Amino acid sequence: MTITRRTTLGLLGSAPLLAAPSVQAQAPVEITFNYPIAVGGPIPRLIDAYCEEFARANPRFRVKPIYAGSYQDTLTKTLTAMRGGDAPQIACLLSTDMFTLIDEDAVLAWDDLPGVERAWLDSFYPGFLENSRTGGKTWGIPFQRSTVVLYWNKELFREAGLNPDMPPENWAQQVEFAQKLTKRQGDTTTQWGMQIPSSGFPYWLFQALTTQNDVRLMNEEGTRTFFADPKVAEALQYWVDLANRYRVHPPGIVEWGTTPRDFFERKVAMMWTTTGNLTNVRRNAQFPFGVGMLPAGKRRGSPTGGGNLYVFKSANPAQREAAISFARFLTTPERAAHWGIETGYVAVTPASWQTPAMQAYVAEFPPAAVARDQLPHAVAELSTHENQRVTKALNDNLQAALLGRKQAGPAMNDAQQEAERILRRYR
Amino acid sequence: MRVTRAIETAGAWLLGIIWIAPLLYALWAAFHPSAYTTRFELLAPLTLQNFAEAWDAAPFARYFLNTFILVTMILAAQLVLCTLAAFAFARSRFPGSGILFGLVLLQLMIMPDVLLVENYRTMRDLGLVDTILAIGLPYMASAFGIFLLRQTFRQVPKELEEAAIVEGCGTMAILWRVYVPLAKPTYLAYGLTSVSYHWNNFLWPLVITNTVETRPLTVGLAVFASTDQGIDWAIISAATLMTSAPLLLGFLLFQRQFVQSFMRAGIR
Repeated sequence: MTITRRTTLGLLGSAPLLAAPSVQAQAPVEITFNYPIAVGGPIPRLIDAYCEEFARANPRFRVKPIYAGSYQDTLTKTLTAMRGGDAPQIACLLSTDMFTLIDEDAVLAWDDLPGVERAWLDSFYPGFLENSRTGGKTWGIPFQRSTVVLYWNKELFREAGLNPDMPPENWAQQVEFAQKLTKRQGDTTTQWGMQIPSSGFPYWLFQALTTQNDVRLMNEEGTRTFFADPKVAEALQYWVDLANRYRVHPPGIVEWGTTPRDFFERKVAMMWTTTGNLTNVRRNAQFPFGVGMLPAGKRRGSPTGGGNLYVFKSANPAQREAAISFARFLTTPERAAHWGIETGYVAVTPASWQTPAMQAYVAEFPPAAVARDQLPHAVAELSTHENQRVTKALNDNLQAALLGRKQAGPAMNDAQQEAERILRRYR
Repeated sequence: MRVTRAIETAGAWLLGIIWIAPLLYALWAAFHPSAYTTRFELLAPLTLQNFAEAWDAAPFARYFLNTFILVTMILAAQLVLCTLAAFAFARSRFPGSGILFGLVLLQLMIMPDVLLVENYRTMRDLGLVDTILAIGLPYMASAFGIFLLRQTFRQVPKELEEAAIVEGCGTMAILWRVYVPLAKPTYLAYGLTSVSYHWNNFLWPLVITNTVETRPLTVGLAVFASTDQGIDWAIISAATLMTSAPLLLGFLLFQRQFVQSFMRAGIR
């Protein structure tokens, strides 16, 4: 073999010992990661730890996390910075913000990036991907995702003569159980049978009811809504009836934020809320509690919720590479399992549930697996173009119906009309 | 007569109670274990645990320092800039002074939130993103301050200025010896509104800062206000009391001066 210049260079290039110093001498590629602290406590510490671990494993890259309050605050901050020419390279934002971010021309589809394999994009639960894909492209990588589940107080079940290990299976049973669990003293109710929060984002919990009544609220393109479908009004009527007809649910608007507290204080026996509350309930409930799938109507059902990872157009090729490897790093089975165990969010890939750590956790605390088991019944959270305005139209009319200002049918027709008006120009 | 007086007193009490109710509730919730948050029992055990937990949940010491630096910096810059500008507008005639003053007043009509993106761009061009200076800079040339001080300066009798000139004072000395001392109530009232506004400002600091080292209290407190996992009123109340305590104490201590200076300066 004659030694040519090419072979020499090839040898030099492939010898890691010789090549390493040149890599180290380069400054690491830095990307900023906007992250909402939607929950207080130790979560920022977890994210910091992941970023450090990532930097150790990939010395070429460095991730700078920026914590930014609620999802809403994070979106505002991200879009303002973007218009000011200073967008982050990667951000965790609501999965439902997908259309908004696409319309703002802010984000890239993950499929188009170099080195992203279809196999990785397909490795997530399909229920979570429903909100992350449109037009055949994947815009968000599922990261901190949740869904709605039923929590019940086993002690109060026993007092009411119900089997504490048997949550209601369907709508009729739910009413029946709730009637047994409601306690009255004269005109005042000291203990409600059940509670479905309706402040802030009632559409999310309402979507569980509509899914159970076997109707979808929007199309996949995010350009049409189906609020005027009679089955939607039927689902709303069930919710209204819980309070007005059966009187097992507090009348009017039920606060989202204080519902867990009402549950801890035994003011309510069954509540619907996010799986993200699991750790909170486990820490604060002074009684044995159960976690189950939501009762079925015509079928079982719940929307998914929570945040996805988006990669921004502002990233240069090196930063895109960094963003991809960071997203892959966060979604490896081990890390997804660790994240799920620490926070209560649903681990996003089937593989993460096979890890020893997750299996040990589920064995010790079976309620953790309920959200996963419910996933096959889950649908995408309501998300359309001009998402904020369309959901507001629905929210306002839901609350009007719950407060008794409108009948269920007309309320949903009004919501549909408003949504039509907003969405017309996207078709 | 007596009846109207009684009604007025009752009305004042009612408004006072409505005003202070949230504060009283915050006091109750902050000093009791969270089990008693919505159960009002006279003998409920008192605790400081909520404060300890809130203090541990975020680097509040750092946030306090940042907010303190921020409000002092803004106030100092505002006092100097507004005094000089107001003096020029009040006492000297120069070409275009009317138009210039009109432009300054125009700033009062524009909500700062509208300028969010533009301000962000400016800060980025100056290389100031994520600094405490960047939070304060857009607010330093305060139109409100200029306007308020100009009106006050114009009420100062010309004779005092003339007397000072006879005594041999230059322009700056007149400003310092005659105008500033006479405008003291206005300064006090303006200082209070400025400090409390910037102590509570949220959106702009959120957008322009990225790290614990630069964020003020309000942004740090936002962590508690999020509702994803349910609200723990006890800890929120403790954190809120903690962050508003310096302002509350300041107001209670100097209440009389504040009320008087507000009356005199005409800010309600």
